Amino acid sequence: MRDVAVLGVGMHPFGKFEDKSVTDLCRAATSRALKDAGIQWRDIQAITAASSRFSGGKGWGLNGNDVMEDMGPTGAPVYNMSAGCAAGGNAFNVGYSLVAGGVYDIVLVVGGEKMPKGFIQTSGIADETDPEYLRQVCVGVPGPAFWAMLCLRRMSNFGTTEEQLAKVAVKAHQVAQHNGNARFRQLFSVEDVLKSKPVSWPLRLYEICPVSDGAAAAVLCSGDIARKYTTKPVWVASSAVATANFHDGLPRNLSTIIPPGHSQHTEASNAVKKAFEKAGLGPRDVNFVELQDNTVYYELAFPEEWGFCQPGESDKLVEQGETLPTGKLPINPSGGFLCFGEATTAMGVFQVCELTWQLRGEAGARQVPNAKVGLAQTLGLGLNATAAILKR
Amino acid sequence: MTTANRVPVVQGLFAETPNGPRLLGSKCATCGTPYFPKSSACHNPDCQDPRVEDAQFGPRGKLWSYVVQFYPPPPPVKYDEPFVPYAVGAVDLPGGLRVLGRMSVDDVKKIKIGMDVDLVIERLCGDKDGNEVTTWKFRLV
Repeated sequence: MRDVAVLGVGMHPFGKFEDKSVTDLCRAATSRALKDAGIQWRDIQAITAASSRFSGGKGWGLNGNDVMEDMGPTGAPVYNMSAGCAAGGNAFNVGYSLVAGGVYDIVLVVGGEKMPKGFIQTSGIADETDPEYLRQVCVGVPGPAFWAMLCLRRMSNFGTTEEQLAKVAVKAHQVAQHNGNARFRQLFSVEDVLKSKPVSWPLRLYEICPVSDGAAAAVLCSGDIARKYTTKPVWVASSAVATANFHDGLPRNLSTIIPPGHSQHTEASNAVKKAFEKAGLGPRDVNFVELQDNTVYYELAFPEEWGFCQPGESDKLVEQGETLPTGKLPINPSGGFLCFGEATTAMGVFQVCELTWQLRGEAGARQVPNAKVGLAQTLGLGLNATAAILKR
Repeated sequence: MTTANRVPVVQGLFAETPNGPRLLGSKCATCGTPYFPKSSACHNPDCQDPRVEDAQFGPRGKLWSYVVQFYPPPPPVKYDEPFVPYAVGAVDLPGGLRVLGRMSVDDVKKIKIGMDVDLVIERLCGDKDGNEVTTWKFRLV
């Protein structure tokens, strides 16, 4: 396997853009990534793209082909990766693997999404063999209600308080105020968060990521090429994809099996563990983490489940400000999904952008001091998850 | 006054049996893995000889966790207008099954994790033909 570098990254700011198509967003992100890398569109030898469910792709998830046609067809191959909300992370993994394996020298990874308003809905087809349809029609459990059940169980296990949940959201906005690409940059107090409407109690409006429009792109290349373009490359230490274990106890459908131990997202811990193993690194080596914070709950649970701290310890870390960029365990210095909103299939690439900016020391007022190693993680429908470790 | 027809929200998921309400699922005769709804196959990757047969689950279980849904979800979620916040529980049943179901309570503040609950079949909502659409729920013991 060859060394792989992130040569350039680019993002279209996140928000709601009624007058732009997903292809417009991807074009902006791609153009910025090319410029950042110092290369031309014709230099791209292959595209790995996240397949969008909600926008573009001609209804077939052909979002990479949309980018190719829009930027100008060059004959380069396109790989469209479908993995729910993990699709961006999946596209990154395939792009990385193609360069690491010597198939291509320069690959563009891109993900973009324009989201419909409100809760993410089912397929819309009344199919009684579809577990997601059954879960909604028989019981009524939108995404935030699923997260809320995990959160309440955590509160029962460890005594996590509603104030501690709110503090995670306060922290997110504290860092996002310094990020021009973030959608929500206003500061909140704990009281503001606790006064926001309960959506799926114990989770409130400001504790749940909304949906957004956005796009992100990254240019990956071989080590030889990276050294020609820059003296300070950002390296991909590892990239991993995983799915969940049979027994993990999370009620994703109408029912599941009671696990022998702790109920948790094994797809995420499997991906992160694999990324650590491949990189020959562990939690102590990581200076900051960009994780999938669909809700404040995940910022508390994931670091514990991945070995960054002891079970139940996250609450205290948040209280003490240790998850801020200047803390012992900086989490989501970008502002995370909470402040960007989720443009589902873009998120894995969005994280690679933030990791790259942090590792280059270009993150301004949200910079993690002396950041050398960063971890990114996504998870998505279908038991999908990805993790990547970048270093300088 | 006529009593409204009771129509299950989806056929074949639950029934009133002589022993009381039950969820209709499956169990693998080899490895014991429970399934709800019914499964035509065993999905345990370590099961050497998958053989699924019909099984019933309920009525008594223990509440693993729950949520109070304050915001009306989009279709196909069903509820009577005007929307009233409802609770959903994840309940651990004998046989190793953790199942989701609406909570049948007059006050969601009475719900506590770890409580014993019983399976009941109750009104989910009315439909346009005047029928009462039913589903399974969990009631505090």
